[in-house]
Amino acid sequence: MRFMRSAIVALAVTTGAVSSQAAEIKVGVAAALSGLAAQYGAAIRNGFELAADEINAAGGINGDTIKLVVEDEQGRKEEAINVFKKLIFQDKVLVVFGPTLSNSASAAHPIAQASRTPVFGTSNTADGITAVGNYVFRNSVTEADVLPDTLKKIVEKEGVKKVGVLYGNDDVFTKSSYDNFVKALKDQGIAVTTTETFAKGDVDFKAQLTKIKATEPDAIVLSALLAEGGPILVQARQLGINLPIIGGNGINSPKIFELAKGASDNLWVGSPWSVSSDTDVNRNFITAYERKFGSKPDQFAAQAFDALNIVAAALKTVELSGDIAKDRIALRDALPDVTWTGATGPFKFKQAQDRSGKPAGYDADQKPIVSVTKDGVYEIVN
Amino acid sequence: MDAFLLWFDEFWAVYSNLVLTLGINALLALSIWLTLACGVLALANAAFMGIGAYAGALATLNYDSPFALSIGVAMVAPSLVALAIGLPVLRLGGVYLAMATLGFGEVVRVVILNTESITGGALGLNGIPQYTQWWHVLLALVIVIFVLARLHRSKTGRAFEAIKVDETAASLMGVDLRANKLLAFVLGAAIAGLAGALNAHLTFFIGPQEYGFDRGVEILTMAILGGVTSIIGPIIGAVFLTLLPELLRGLADFRLIVNGFILVAVVLFLPNGLWDPARFRRWFGSGR
Repeated sequence: MRFMRSAIVALAVTTGAVSSQAAEIKVGVAAALSGLAAQYGAAIRNGFELAADEINAAGGINGDTIKLVVEDEQGRKEEAINVFKKLIFQDKVLVVFGPTLSNSASAAHPIAQASRTPVFGTSNTADGITAVGNYVFRNSVTEADVLPDTLKKIVEKEGVKKVGVLYGNDDVFTKSSYDNFVKALKDQGIAVTTTETFAKGDVDFKAQLTKIKATEPDAIVLSALLAEGGPILVQARQLGINLPIIGGNGINSPKIFELAKGASDNLWVGSPWSVSSDTDVNRNFITAYERKFGSKPDQFAAQAFDALNIVAAALKTVELSGDIAKDRIALRDALPDVTWTGATGPFKFKQAQDRSGKPAGYDADQKPIVSVTKDGVYEIVN
Repeated sequence: MDAFLLWFDEFWAVYSNLVLTLGINALLALSIWLTLACGVLALANAAFMGIGAYAGALATLNYDSPFALSIGVAMVAPSLVALAIGLPVLRLGGVYLAMATLGFGEVVRVVILNTESITGGALGLNGIPQYTQWWHVLLALVIVIFVLARLHRSKTGRAFEAIKVDETAASLMGVDLRANKLLAFVLGAAIAGLAGALNAHLTFFIGPQEYGFDRGVEILTMAILGGVTSIIGPIIGAVFLTLLPELLRGLADFRLIVNGFILVAVVLFLPNGLWDPARFRRWFGSGR
């Protein structure tokens, strides 16, 4: 009995101590750590871990520390739903980041919306992601915003008037990127000489490239992922096509320099983040990332890093009550007003609309950086 | 009691999707078991699931059809396709049949990719209303199990069994090979289509890459791993394969490795599958 009493006292003391001390703010991350999208998911996890470490080292959020709960969603929609349910209902996190792919997001975000939990995509660029509802946020700049700027820049610098188009038609990402290219080309009155397609896993693109070459365009618009984009660049240069190549988000990675060694010049890409962007925040981010993980960050890591900082900025303006349902709503209400200057530059939200035109979630309102490859580096085009 | 209800509410909130996926996967495993029980190794079930999922989702999205009708469409569409391709393809046997049906699966995927105005192409179909309730899945599973169990014990079931054991002998005894194989193939397609529609109306989204080679192999693995000697095997296989990755979630990065090891161990030590009545009799032999 005495033991019981002292145990209860001890328990009371410890819980008392915990509540008077810093509390933990649980933040869920659903990322594709295995499966085909694992390389993106790993970078995303790193970005979040780095941001959480930095925020906690700097005193946390009004004294509370951030605790990441990272779960693997394998890049599959069923897994994404399972992970979202676990994070929201079992781990009771305040906000869920992810999932990595847009398809999984279409399946999982409605769950967060229905349970009134803020959900924050850092890598979902497909249209309609934020149409789900007012608890859905993303800081990934959509290609609908990036590609027009890329085209404008190259028209201005290189006087491009007509382009040949080459795209992968069996992949969500390259297909949606192609759709956005078509729309932007039409809006800006750029003529298309011919449109050629390829499929995932193809290795020989000479037939398509020869056809494109015969139509004598001023540039080639290319919507491909890295695995096909690399060989396409190499084979285009082998065929003597030395035109500028305009790429989508899928091909925007330093890996292109290895994959298209010696043939990677004159590739134009627009992206929300660039390794060559010379702001203090970005330089610090790159240095810290390299120190912690021993590799160079990419766009996905940068966007994840910024995302947690954006949420942290919102949380600083919120008084947490400890009631998770209330706190989630409070965070949702605070998020739209956040402005933040991070690794990807100045950032704010803009409200998106659902299919019937009613206000829904929040997209990124951010200027993309257009760069062109030269001698194995990205040079920012001003 | 209240404590239990509270616990159950929480459990259901987290795991409802997993439980329903269990049921849907069990339907898929049963759909391939039906053809396997007839000695036919056809790998088109993922494609039939896709046809069902798209047919059902399109009926719901474009024509606002009630859920029951969408499910009906999702079962009829793959059955008709199965009937059309079954007639020529089922003349093949063994590995050749497997290859032909795999090829058919690829054709379905490419057709879905290229009929963009209808199926959304690579972008898939988005915003499918979530109609699937727990009792839909349970009811579907109960009906399918009941029908298959009756079928298994009927004259047709005996004919399937005979064809599986020895085709030539069966045909010499007057069993119509073609009709029986076609029946198994078409029924299997209908069940796969049913599973596809239930899945599509559960997960808000479907895309063409979900019904490819990977899914086909997964369905086959569920049936084989569970054991194809009786109707219980595929269900156990589906439950096992669906639950295992979730149960191992605590292992984080090692999850898929351990998952693979367990599967290899099962195949090595239980070659007839998890559910193998003959082995149970050997182990727990009734004192003979």
